[in-house]
Amino acid sequence: MRSRRQILIDWIEQDRIAPGNLQSALSLSSVFPSKANWQRFLDQLLLWLGALLLAAGVIFFFAYNWNDLGRFAKFALVEVPIIGALIVLWRIGLESISGKITLLAASLFVGALLALVGQTYQTGADTFELFAAWAVLILPWVLVGHLAALWLVWIALLNLAAVFYYLVFGGLFGFIFAPDQLLWVLFALNTIALVIWELRAARDTPDRWAIRILATASGTAVTILAIYSVAEFRHAGALGLLAWAVYFAALYVVYRIMVVDVFVLAGGVLSVIAVVITWLATNLLKSGDAAGAMLLIGLIVIGLSAAGGWWLKQVVNGARS
Amino acid sequence: MNGSDSVSLWAQLSQAGLVEGDTPADSVSVTPWYIRTMLGIAGWIGAMFLLGFVGAAFSIVMKSAASGLLVGALLCAAATIMFRGRPNGDFICQFALAVSIAGQSLMCVGLAQLLPSETALIAILFAVFEIALFLVIPNFLHRVLASCGAAGGLIVALAVWGFYPYTQALVFAAFSWAWLNEFRFPTRSAELRALGYGLSLLVLTGLVMERSMQFWSAAWSGKGGLPLIGGPYAFWIGASLSGAVMLWVVWKLLMRQGIAVGQGPGLAALAGAVLIALISVKAPGFSITVTVLLLGFANGNRVLAGVGILSLLAYWSYYYYSLEITLLQKSALLVCAGAVLIAARLAMKRRWPIDDAGSRNA
Repeated sequence: MRSRRQILIDWIEQDRIAPGNLQSALSLSSVFPSKANWQRFLDQLLLWLGALLLAAGVIFFFAYNWNDLGRFAKFALVEVPIIGALIVLWRIGLESISGKITLLAASLFVGALLALVGQTYQTGADTFELFAAWAVLILPWVLVGHLAALWLVWIALLNLAAVFYYLVFGGLFGFIFAPDQLLWVLFALNTIALVIWELRAARDTPDRWAIRILATASGTAVTILAIYSVAEFRHAGALGLLAWAVYFAALYVVYRIMVVDVFVLAGGVLSVIAVVITWLATNLLKSGDAAGAMLLIGLIVIGLSAAGGWWLKQVVNGARS
Repeated sequence: MNGSDSVSLWAQLSQAGLVEGDTPADSVSVTPWYIRTMLGIAGWIGAMFLLGFVGAAFSIVMKSAASGLLVGALLCAAATIMFRGRPNGDFICQFALAVSIAGQSLMCVGLAQLLPSETALIAILFAVFEIALFLVIPNFLHRVLASCGAAGGLIVALAVWGFYPYTQALVFAAFSWAWLNEFRFPTRSAELRALGYGLSLLVLTGLVMERSMQFWSAAWSGKGGLPLIGGPYAFWIGASLSGAVMLWVVWKLLMRQGIAVGQGPGLAALAGAVLIALISVKAPGFSITVTVLLLGFANGNRVLAGVGILSLLAYWSYYYYSLEITLLQKSALLVCAGAVLIAARLAMKRRWPIDDAGSRNA
């Protein structure tokens, strides 16, 4: 769990490395990257940045409202980068990282094409159909790509589709009438993705960062649902609180006992604190003594977070030894 | 597993004659960043309730400058005693953190009442106070927040004096300095890290705030309230200064790596940095976020590198909505820059092929 950098920092703080030897120790332990590592890093950096900027450039280009360019010219222009990317892909194959990134770029170009369809036929540019169609169209590429970033883009598209669905059909002027329904959808979506990812990670190489992003998304949604329940916001029933309790109990079993992931546990602690504060605030602040209630809530927050921090450190140290 | 990693690392360093004696025992002093983040957020929430308690129970504190300053200073002093007395106590430190944040907020309220409409002076006094707290309170998380507060105060003061367009480059330079010198002064290493993280928070929020701040500064200057030094070119100069800071970082890293600046790889690296700096004149966040990533990689700091990647993605999403130039111009800039970077990668692969036999290190 500890990187070489953290080990060295530990030794520096224990005064076990003479200041004169520090630079050499940092290079020898490859905390400071070697020339070969720099080269590999720059190679990846240029590739990712280049692809990202190109894709963003193409999307920006079609988001600009063109008046003096014919419809067919526009479609031709947006199809060129897609076909170009596919030709490059055909030449270099899907195995290399450049191939995977090219596929990612092609998937983003499809979004530009769909946005252009929306613009031309007046279906509106930001609607949920755009994101839903985008997700459906690139699904085969996502399946063959085996790239965590591409999967996350795909899940983000589904999330956006859900948000815009509720903006269009359940809202008015950007205000959503049924935020709890939307939260249930987002919670279900990201939890399913999290479960599938974790099951895959059990046999494949795990991408912990992607799992953490998904856990953050589903955990945030269910925490807000629990807060609605506790605060009796918009006549929300107890279902949100129940789902929250089940979700975090499952999270505890998976990330404390099966795979130790303290990041997710730390998020869980924060979620518990948020729900407890909401419960205390709705019940105590109504009573006459606001000052006493605030002091009590403040102290409880401090106590809970300190206890949580202490527990999480124990887990980290337990995992280390 | 990790115990053996530190044992083998110690053996490696020992063999090279860089360290002496037995392998040090693992200490528990290193707390992962996400635990610290959780504690920081909870500390803030706790502080706001404590502040609410003070305001509700003793309303005089919020209304009179003298009592606000006095109670604020007392709270901060109490926090200092707690932090210094029990630097490793989980409960004491979390309580002290909340008390200190509540105290700092009261100091702010008191200063605002003592010096109404003297925004710059309030901000400078607050910054000085935060620097003092940074120096006397040894807690890491508290130092991150204090460096954030101090730099924030300085930015507000400079903005009022008409230097707003240059503040981003200034904070960015201080941030880069802290990370470049992280291991230069071993006894001050933890302080520099706290400073570096605190400033990174400010640099990155600055990128997103930029648009609204420019709007406000333009509105004020129109009413004669806010002079803008450098006139219409000020934001260009500011963005160029950020690019210059990036060049300086690349130059320092090349020196550290022992690569001659005047030839081959060194020249190519500088040329790449110049290119990114030029793009950044129209998209100031580009050089800054790339530099965060570079510094994170250069110091083996995965957290900072991760912050760099996330901010890079967030910046380009935000850039779509920023109104400085039209989407068409933005898209031309992006496509050209993307093509050049890919071409640079291909050229680099051809000129200096990667030796895959070397050890891999992410």
